[in-house]
Amino acid sequence: MLTIGKVAARAQVSADSIRFYEREGLLNPAQKSAAGYRLYTEEALRRLNFIKHAQQCGFSLSEIRELLELRAHDRSCCSDIYRVAVEKKLQLEAKIKALKTMSHALSQLIEVCSRDAKPLDECPILAALESSIAGQNARSKEPAKRRSRMHP
Amino acid sequence: MTIKIEAFYSPGCSKCAQAKEMLKIIVEEIGKDCITWRDVNVLEEIDYAVELGVLSAPAIAIDGALVFPALPSAEKFARELRKRLEQAVRDDVQNPSRK
Repeated sequence: MLTIGKVAARAQVSADSIRFYEREGLLNPAQKSAAGYRLYTEEALRRLNFIKHAQQCGFSLSEIRELLELRAHDRSCCSDIYRVAVEKKLQLEAKIKALKTMSHALSQLIEVCSRDAKPLDECPILAALESSIAGQNARSKEPAKRRSRMHP
Repeated sequence: MTIKIEAFYSPGCSKCAQAKEMLKIIVEEIGKDCITWRDVNVLEEIDYAVELGVLSAPAIAIDGALVFPALPSAEKFARELRKRLEQAVRDDVQNPSRK
């Protein structure tokens, strides 16, 4: 049996992380000692490695819980795990697309900046951000104005 | 006038295969002559899937827009197709040059 400190050291995670995973229902000690200390088996190490790798692939804790449940379920098969992996890939690709759009918007702002030592109120990046915020506010107020014109 | 259906599936997904069969039967019943069907493997066309906002499979796009991000019931799917067909007929009557 391994104490929480030993499991943490071997899995290269903190003892706090192990307690957190326990609260999240991802990992339970095999038993507790007479003094109330958590005790783990080698299975806990395998489970911790699984959690770490899944996190590196972008899985959230609730998704990891689903994967662990599928792994433990007798009736689960490869296609169940495959489905979860494909869905995660779609979500990651959607995030990458959104990040690329943001990066492109920033590139455009960076391009208009001449990096002179001008005062901040002449900064084209801040001005562009201000105008886009003002534009968004105007657009969000537009339907209300239209409504008020229709129902004075 | 043709309605274009794209069924996004993930290979090896039994739920996707069953769903496709069920929805294809509805397409046959409602009007196979005016509805085209394309199976889209999300892994082979991931950029297109992401562009339409597909986040899980199976999902159904109609005329290039994601209409059912999750598997619809047979009734819902049939209702959507009938609505679109009726709209297309009305459009054709109002604007015959569209045909």
